[in-house]
Amino acid sequence: MVEVREETKLTLLEIYKETGIGLEGNMLKLIDSSGDDEFSIYIRDCIEKDKEKRKKRLEITKQVQDQNKELIKAKEEIERVNEELRLSLVEVQRAKENVENDLDVLQKKTQYELINTIVRVALFVIIGVGVTTTILYMVSMFTGKDTQIIGSTWSNMFGILLTNAFSIVGTIMGVKYANKKD
Amino acid sequence: MIESILLVDDEDLFHLVFEDACSLLDITLNLSSVSSSEEAEELFKQWFSGEIKKPACVFVDLNIIGSSFDGIELIRKLNFEYGDEVVAGIISSSDEEEEQARALKAGAQFWIIKSDEIEPRLEDFKKDYPLYKERKGQFKIYK
Repeated sequence: MVEVREETKLTLLEIYKETGIGLEGNMLKLIDSSGDDEFSIYIRDCIEKDKEKRKKRLEITKQVQDQNKELIKAKEEIERVNEELRLSLVEVQRAKENVENDLDVLQKKTQYELINTIVRVALFVIIGVGVTTTILYMVSMFTGKDTQIIGSTWSNMFGILLTNAFSIVGTIMGVKYANKKD
Repeated sequence: MIESILLVDDEDLFHLVFEDACSLLDITLNLSSVSSSEEAEELFKQWFSGEIKKPACVFVDLNIIGSSFDGIELIRKLNFEYGDEVVAGIISSSDEEEEQARALKAGAQFWIIKSDEIEPRLEDFKKDYPLYKERKGQFKIYK
């Protein structure tokens, strides 16, 4: 225990009476105040005040600690939500790319079907004209009519039709090749 | 009253809580705190070489964030590398049995669950401390 001189005791008591300022902290528990009633009361008061202050500080520190824990939890929750949003964004981006790809495929398919229809109609026209001209030519031959004009027309027509047919086939192959490249 | 205590905990706010609780409960008048295992180990080295006086009791947090090893490893080092004259135990919010078994194996003498109401547990610990000091106390969990 720490023994305090009489002069120091008087000074401490005087300061306490005039200003209310007393000793603080764990040191108070080490001071020997036995044998002096006034000084014992002073030390007891100081210890009580110190305890009150510590209690108050302990409560506040605990509150701050709780608030800190809540803030940390909130921060973790925000990070979790942010991560979820980021993943959702990636998924939406992926879905958008898929839709764009599907749309492109659909457009190409429609184009291809249109070309198919055009080619089919063109081929029917070519075959129809060829067959009709051939039938007319054969009828002329078998009925003994003059075939000079229809003969040359048939050969010209057939040449043109063949050329056109190859041109169409070539175009189809080209379109197919171009689509494959994409 | 415990002569001196060392607290190893990464949470600075808990240093204040622990200091005030120890003062209010008259557990000790001499409390020092460090925030990492490395700092604590440095102190152990100084005790071991006799540069500074050993504390009577060491309270160690289980997970010391920012440290290269946890509280149990720190207690193991304290008991097996730097002598075992100090009463040492864990103070943590965790109540996992596996960790408590590890702590016991490492030489911890007690496990105090850290919560808002730490004072009653510290009071119970204060009562049991003489047994720990004499190495007669069983490993106890203060819940």
